[in-house]
Amino acid sequence: MSVLLAAGVLVALALGIWLGAWFDRLAPALEGGRAAGPMAPLRDWAALLIRDQAETEAPDRMNRLLAPAWYLALAAIGLSVVPVAEGLALWHSPVGIVVWGSCEALIVITVFLHGWSPNAPFPLIGAYRYAAIGLPVMLPSMFVLIAAALPAESLSLIAIVDSQRDSWNLVRQPLGLPLFLVVGLTLTLRGPLDFAGGVDIAGGTSAEESGAGLFLWQVARLATLVAFSALAAAVFLGGPLGPLLPGPVWLALKTALVMALTVLAGRLIARTTPSRMLHVLWVWLLPLSFAHLAVSGMVAL
Amino acid sequence: MTDLAIILLALFGVWTGWRVFRVDSMVRASFALMLSFIATAGIGLLLSAPYIGVATVFMMAVEMLVMAIFMVMFMMNPAGLNPMSMVHQHRLSIGAGVVAFAGLGAAVLLSDLPDSPVAPGTDVVAQLGFELLGPSMLIFETAGVTLLATMLGAVILSSRQGRFGMADHGSRPPGLEPGGAPAGRRPEKGGGHGHGHGGHGGHGDGGHGRASDDHGGEHRGHMSDGDHEGHAGYSPDGAMGAPGPEHGATHRTPAKSEHGGEHRTAHGPGHAPQDQKAADAPQEDAAPNADPHAHHRKGTGHDGDDT
Amino acid sequence: MTLIIVLLAASALFGIGLYGALSQQSFVMLMMGLELMLNGALLAIIGFWSRGLGGMPEGQLLAIIVMAVMAIEMAIGFALVVALYRKRQADVTEAIGTLKR
Repeated sequence: MSVLLAAGVLVALALGIWLGAWFDRLAPALEGGRAAGPMAPLRDWAALLIRDQAETEAPDRMNRLLAPAWYLALAAIGLSVVPVAEGLALWHSPVGIVVWGSCEALIVITVFLHGWSPNAPFPLIGAYRYAAIGLPVMLPSMFVLIAAALPAESLSLIAIVDSQRDSWNLVRQPLGLPLFLVVGLTLTLRGPLDFAGGVDIAGGTSAEESGAGLFLWQVARLATLVAFSALAAAVFLGGPLGPLLPGPVWLALKTALVMALTVLAGRLIARTTPSRMLHVLWVWLLPLSFAHLAVSGMVAL
Repeated sequence: MTDLAIILLALFGVWTGWRVFRVDSMVRASFALMLSFIATAGIGLLLSAPYIGVATVFMMAVEMLVMAIFMVMFMMNPAGLNPMSMVHQHRLSIGAGVVAFAGLGAAVLLSDLPDSPVAPGTDVVAQLGFELLGPSMLIFETAGVTLLATMLGAVILSSRQGRFGMADHGSRPPGLEPGGAPAGRRPEKGGGHGHGHGGHGGHGDGGHGRASDDHGGEHRGHMSDGDHEGHAGYSPDGAMGAPGPEHGATHRTPAKSEHGGEHRTAHGPGHAPQDQKAADAPQEDAAPNADPHAHHRKGTGHDGDDT
Repeated sequence: MTLIIVLLAASALFGIGLYGALSQQSFVMLMMGLELMLNGALLAIIGFWSRGLGGMPEGQLLAIIVMAVMAIEMAIGFALVVALYRKRQADVTEAIGTLKR
């Protein structure tokens, strides 16, 4: 039974990765660009896979190889605590949102290691920039998730989904999802919070990557997008709850919706300098998330 | 089965703990420490402490990230390309470590250990919650207040501005050998001296601003020569005004190589008292007509932002 | 048996941490030694709670307190290092030998 469930989650993850890649290639149409067809990601990946990997001088080989694998594994662990149907998750952790929080923190470290290990300037700049940004993003993330745990009176994601039978957390805590989207943009290295990469530092942590390593890194980024969206769907949109259709279908639909939202936000919101973003994160977002927690706590009472 | 996993995790934790002091890079060291903590967390998970285990992972991941950021500031060898062994009283330390391990290990092996495991099916997370906000609330709150005091203390300790002037005022690097001459940066030009340094820039402007372009250029070069920290962007153009850009560009580099040393000897000590004055009395010079000091104030404000 | 393994690992971690705290010159490495000692303490607490206390919640509370101690040690430690660097431009223990006099 659990083997079947694990296989199902893995297949869903693979489909989600492909869907996310397609969303990324559809998004240029918003700005009048050309949208690509659904097969475009597969073609791009195949082209990446047959290319050679570039070598740098005196890299940390182990971490360079392991960073994409860690990233992918953390996304999978994060996804495993999300309930796929009512009362059914791959990992019945009583502290589901803390598990997700640990995955978040470790993802930031993985991105740092990915930039640190090639021993090259641009990746290193990306790594340090991202570490400085990723640290303050962890705090709103925790506040938002704790606020979502308050009405459920439990840290378990199954209980959190169960607590949304009457009304979704999106309604009870309207600030939660926007704040959590900021976290998602950071974790998936997207748009305004992609300080690890970006054209301004020639691709950042991936500047020296090519071939299979780059492929795996891109896949891991998309896998994190899927895991984040599934978690956001479970925490704010009621996850598998819904009429008529079976639970997993509802979860998949809501996940796809959050994925599209994240891709959109990453596409439409402008980037700023890291120092200005730090100011925004510490001075505005942190108090805002704290106020959100206080208000949610009062509503839950 | 559980025992085997615990043995493996314990070995992994001890091995990574040992690697912390054996690797050549601070980044590797701190992430080895993180792995050691993750091993502890894994043992916690296996020993039916889900919250403690997972919270340990979360805490240590964030903490090691902070460590990584601090290492950028304080480490000479973050990448680990050179061997790094900076130890003192090595034998004593090894001895102390071995004695501690032997003593504790003997205590573990010789004493009669209790045996009453957690009953399976206990909701330990809920128990912990009720304990934290029930009988032990005072302890928990004390920890909270202590953490608040820690935050305040950390901010105050690391703040550059203080009641009695800048924290790094008059700071001199330690000598290479005990009682030796200060090593590293020169005190009158050091990066930690943004304050006195801004005063110097202001002084240069006031004293020589009307002189030939060449001379001004030299001074600009002099300033940027000593600029180790963030105010490089401000001082060359901001302090000098109009003739800035091309002079800043053309003269800064020559001044560094040709006139830098000369300036250090010729102007350094002679200017020191005036620097001091400019640095110590910002209030009196707040009037807009005191041009150099106005710049100087701007300079310090800028430093404060950067650090 | 489980408790003995866990406690032995905890004492090994404590020993290594003590070695590091005593031997390292760099402040940051020294603090890693302190953290490692606390790691040993945390492991011992988890072991004792799980196998010797019958699941009394006070054991978990103690582990939480140890984590708070770690956070405090880290924050105040780095603040001290920053303050010291401002005053002395020093990042190794040898540089503050004047504290002896």
